Amino acid sequence: MSNLSLTAQSALGGIRRDFEGVSLAEVGGHALVSVATPLGGGERLAKAIASSYGAKLPTVGYSSLSDNGRARFLGLQPDQMFLLFEHEDDEALAAVTGQLGDAGYYTDQSDSWAMLRISGPAGRTALERICMLDLHPDSFDIDAVARTTMEHLGVIILREAADSFLLMSPRSSATSFLHAIETSIINVTE
Amino acid sequence: MIINHPLLGPRDAAEFTYLGDATLINRPDWQAEDAAGKFHEYLYLRDNPAGEHRELWFHEQGDRSWLVVTRNTLTHEITKVELARDVALAAGRDK
Amino acid sequence: MSESSRVAGGLVDRTKPLSFTFNAQQLTGYAGDTLASALIANGRRLVARSFKYHRPRGIFTAGSEEPNALVQLRRGAYQEPNTRATVTELFDGLEVTSQNHRGSLDFDLMAANDFIAPFLSAGFYYKTFMWPKAFWEKVYEPIIRASAGLGRLSGAPDPDSYDKGFLHCDLLIIGAGPAGLSAALAAGQAGTRVILADEDFLLGGRLNAETHEVDGKLGSHWAAETAAELAALDNVRTMPRTTVYGAYDHGIYGALERKTDHLATSGDKPRQVLWRIYAKRAVLCAGATERPIAFGNNDRPGIMLAGAVRAYANRWAAAPGKRVAVFTNNDDGWRSAVDLAARGIEIAAMVDTRDIAPLAGLPGALIAMGARVQDTSGRGGLRSFTLSGGQKISADCLAVSGGWNPNIHLTCHQRGRPVWRDDLAAFVPGADLPVGMRVAGAANGALTLGASLSEGWTAANEALDDLGVAPAGAAKPKADDEPAAISAFWHVKESSARAWLDLQNDVTVKDVKLAHQEGFRAVEHLKRYTTLGMATDQGKTANVAALAIMAECTGKLIPETGTTIFRPPFTPVPIGALAGRARGKDFRPYRLTPSHKWAADQGAVFVETGMWLRAQWFPRDGETHWRQSVDREVSQTRASVGICDVTTLGKIDIQGRDAADFLNKVYCNGFAKLPVGKVRYGLMLREDGIVMDDGTTARLGESHFVMTTTTANAVGVFRHMEFCRQCLWPGMDVHLISATEQWAQFAVAGPNSRQLLQKIVDPDHDISNEAFPFMACSEITVCGGTPARLFRISFSGELAYEIAVPTRYGESLMQALLSVGAEFDAVAYGTEALGVMRVEKGHAAGNELTGQTSARNLGMGRLVSKKKDCIGNVLSERAALNRENGLSLMGFRPVNRSDALSAGAHFIARARNAAMENDEGWMTSVAFSPSLGHSIGLGFIERGHERKGEVVRAVDLVRGKDIEVEIVSAHFVDPEGARLRV
Repeated sequence: MSNLSLTAQSALGGIRRDFEGVSLAEVGGHALVSVATPLGGGERLAKAIASSYGAKLPTVGYSSLSDNGRARFLGLQPDQMFLLFEHEDDEALAAVTGQLGDAGYYTDQSDSWAMLRISGPAGRTALERICMLDLHPDSFDIDAVARTTMEHLGVIILREAADSFLLMSPRSSATSFLHAIETSIINVTE
Repeated sequence: MIINHPLLGPRDAAEFTYLGDATLINRPDWQAEDAAGKFHEYLYLRDNPAGEHRELWFHEQGDRSWLVVTRNTLTHEITKVELARDVALAAGRDK
Repeated sequence: MSESSRVAGGLVDRTKPLSFTFNAQQLTGYAGDTLASALIANGRRLVARSFKYHRPRGIFTAGSEEPNALVQLRRGAYQEPNTRATVTELFDGLEVTSQNHRGSLDFDLMAANDFIAPFLSAGFYYKTFMWPKAFWEKVYEPIIRASAGLGRLSGAPDPDSYDKGFLHCDLLIIGAGPAGLSAALAAGQAGTRVILADEDFLLGGRLNAETHEVDGKLGSHWAAETAAELAALDNVRTMPRTTVYGAYDHGIYGALERKTDHLATSGDKPRQVLWRIYAKRAVLCAGATERPIAFGNNDRPGIMLAGAVRAYANRWAAAPGKRVAVFTNNDDGWRSAVDLAARGIEIAAMVDTRDIAPLAGLPGALIAMGARVQDTSGRGGLRSFTLSGGQKISADCLAVSGGWNPNIHLTCHQRGRPVWRDDLAAFVPGADLPVGMRVAGAANGALTLGASLSEGWTAANEALDDLGVAPAGAAKPKADDEPAAISAFWHVKESSARAWLDLQNDVTVKDVKLAHQEGFRAVEHLKRYTTLGMATDQGKTANVAALAIMAECTGKLIPETGTTIFRPPFTPVPIGALAGRARGKDFRPYRLTPSHKWAADQGAVFVETGMWLRAQWFPRDGETHWRQSVDREVSQTRASVGICDVTTLGKIDIQGRDAADFLNKVYCNGFAKLPVGKVRYGLMLREDGIVMDDGTTARLGESHFVMTTTTANAVGVFRHMEFCRQCLWPGMDVHLISATEQWAQFAVAGPNSRQLLQKIVDPDHDISNEAFPFMACSEITVCGGTPARLFRISFSGELAYEIAVPTRYGESLMQALLSVGAEFDAVAYGTEALGVMRVEKGHAAGNELTGQTSARNLGMGRLVSKKKDCIGNVLSERAALNRENGLSLMGFRPVNRSDALSAGAHFIARARNAAMENDEGWMTSVAFSPSLGHSIGLGFIERGHERKGEVVRAVDLVRGKDIEVEIVSAHFVDPEGARLRV
């Protein structure tokens, strides 16, 4: 047995870049766990989420925040949501199981996605160049979430605030994704 | 094309992949008499209508739902979009 | 040359003079000029040579329909050929050259073609260059290519960048002329999301070219005010310099926005953006295009469309001539004379094919009613023309109007059929419009201003009604309707000289008649035979007259003759814009493995496998050939231990009460009884009995499995299993999610692999052979508490494991494994060594799983369970997959051990010819086996399992190889599998 210990690396090295009217930053300090609803177990899971997180079960396309604002359930597909919460260590699954018990099926996704926040008044203009979804507030309001594709890459997009979007894309292609987003920003800013 | 997803509203067909005739839901019973004949028909013998066609689309870059889309093959008009799971359940499929 | 033809007024900005060059001659213009208007203002008439006969040509139109004035812009790598001068916005420093001539533009040596014109009529390629056959490629084609054609590409990579984007709106308004502006006002004031796009840089369309009034203001003023009003609305996006070029399914439109074409440099920003516009409703307000009348020598510089002549005078204050005549069949032609006269330009004559003049007369001008222009003269440009009665009139500009064609193109992109209107002598949109589209204004046949404004307003309000939006109740803009009567007239029959229909393709009236005579009477045949309506202008000024002439020849009506199908794009779209960012390294994204950076630091050579970049081998100092590196990696792994990043294999997390039953149905072999803590090989079939994929699946809990798929099929297998889950067995409680990216996974293979792993696995996890035998799996911790998964599985055939940690630790784990492995001389190995070892072990991979391979072909027929329902087992029984002489996967070794085998070779019995009928199978994979010291191969051969020891030929005709090989077991190394279990 050696005394080696392993070092963690974030997908994009904690990058942060500021442009005229747009900022782009990697989001750290969060865990992401998928929560699947057992067949016929929707009500039980909803109760568990309500009692432990104070959150509603989100419908597909929307997210709901916990009462303390530190956890967000993203409704991504029928019978499956992602739980995004502030968390530092490797025991994300244990943290969720501790709250929800066996009300759902959980899979750790924390290392599967690179997370970027694009914020600022020109953010939507930049996203116009790669995102085929309509991000107008009338059709994609705060708390709306969707999975889509940008520049051939799968992306989960969440509107956190009027001018702030959280983007998640598979970690292995994070460098290409960052390049795509940066190019979009550069193409629309001075 | 735009597919009006029953849960998500209109989404670009670029987010979807196509499989084919929705009759692929009706997989025969493996123990049926003439199972081989029934599977042959299920897999290979399909209508190729010039007009309304029920077909399977997968929202791969979206919510991962399989959909049954009723599309006119001449005009591309889409008249109905259903969750394939609901269609399958309604057809009596279970386990 | 000074701006000798510039007159007063216009919409050019005289405070901003610009200079540019045409064929190195220094010229000037103003902001607001197009290249065409500036050339006209400078008195330049001859600007181009025609496509086929190299005839002198001038500017013919004032818009995107221009057939003649194609020029080359800029220089070096930025050079852009075949650009229409009429839509090129002038900027300071623009360099322009003319194209398609040898020698100078004024004395084109290729103009000799014009003298041999009788031999170059329609279809001349097909007739003239028939023989000798060998001459086509070597003689005729090079000559034709050199003499015909348009401009030249720079030959250098395009230094500009391009982008794409997506826009959404409630109402897309295509065209910002009177109808479009009126529609935009109605919809914009109602608060709905509007996109107003126009190909011009100045909104207003014909309002800027005319002297009409709207709401008591000069039309161009009203347009500017309205554009400013719209720009102030948050819900309206006005997009000048944007051509909506195609109407696609379900309200999707393609548009090209020219971002920097009007600037001297693009400033490192995308030059053009290709937009995909999603519109709930659209109003097409694309206006109309004027068409000429065909008469003898009607192609000389100075002969122009009448509407263009007054556009140059009104909008750009550029007089196309000093002494102008008009030839018309309609009232609109007269307006050109009136407007020009008002600007002090001399009007020589009004020639009208009709008998009664719509106006009292024009002071000083000859009025010839019921008259026709028969011929013209003037070498480099018009000097005079002759009427059919013989009267000769001197003029340097002849403004021609044969009426206006509504721009219906986008209404036909979904196979809509236009309908003919006799009163307009033109096609208008039919009833079968693209979904959600309305048409308003001139595009709809409302060729007068008042009607245009009104139709735009109404169409927008109807769209608002569809969308459930209340109208704003503002006042509709108003204007008078100008006289617009027309009497159809297509060509002057008395003309004996060539009368041009399609100026861009040099197609004449006679060519259409010839096509008719030779049987090419259907419009689509006419187009292909004569090339009428092809190239950059797509016959916008030519097609209808040609149809009319064909109708005359066949004795049919024009609507019976029909039109060719309009397809996107409306105007040319550069390939660069269609490619967007997908060029060079950015062609597609890359997926990088967790150890990528480490491997790059080691000098690894990478290979693209799908989107993944994987380390192929790791060269060391002194190794000069890839085989040296790969042989070392294989030998060292088999002798001690090697490590390979296998993260790219698909991983699917499967959970649910019915997860085991589900796997039992998607795999053809049994999974229901797999114990927790064990891994099993799984073979997945398609419903037709062909192998879809294979891999291993581990049971981590009663209701929790982790499946691995091949790298290539990860996405497809996931899709297939979602289909099974949702469509076939919706009553099962089973849930899938990809975990490919979650875990960094490494193969640790070789006799010392356990010893190596024991150095990093935390001591409370016993991985001895007894506690953790072959095909065991467990969730463990490593390096002092990092969560990990350990699988005792082997692709190499050695004692081997795969270890996975959360991806964030992947690179660190790779370093740790090699660091603690130093005492065993552990090596990192790449995909090449991985491949060699799997061939040595006889595992099927992508080369074998071709979508034509059954379980039986792989020698795994017995894996396919007959006792349960699973995908593919029923049709595995079909006769075609169970032939006695079916193919078996076997090993092959060269009889002469020094021979190198080649994949793709076909197996032929020794005594037979290498011919199709003697084909017995083929070699799928080959490798040099460092373990055996010679080349080995895998392949499919008929009845292979009965033929061990037999020698056949492996014939590779492509590489010229014919090698004797012995059929052996596919398991070259450790066939009993003893090493796996130690």
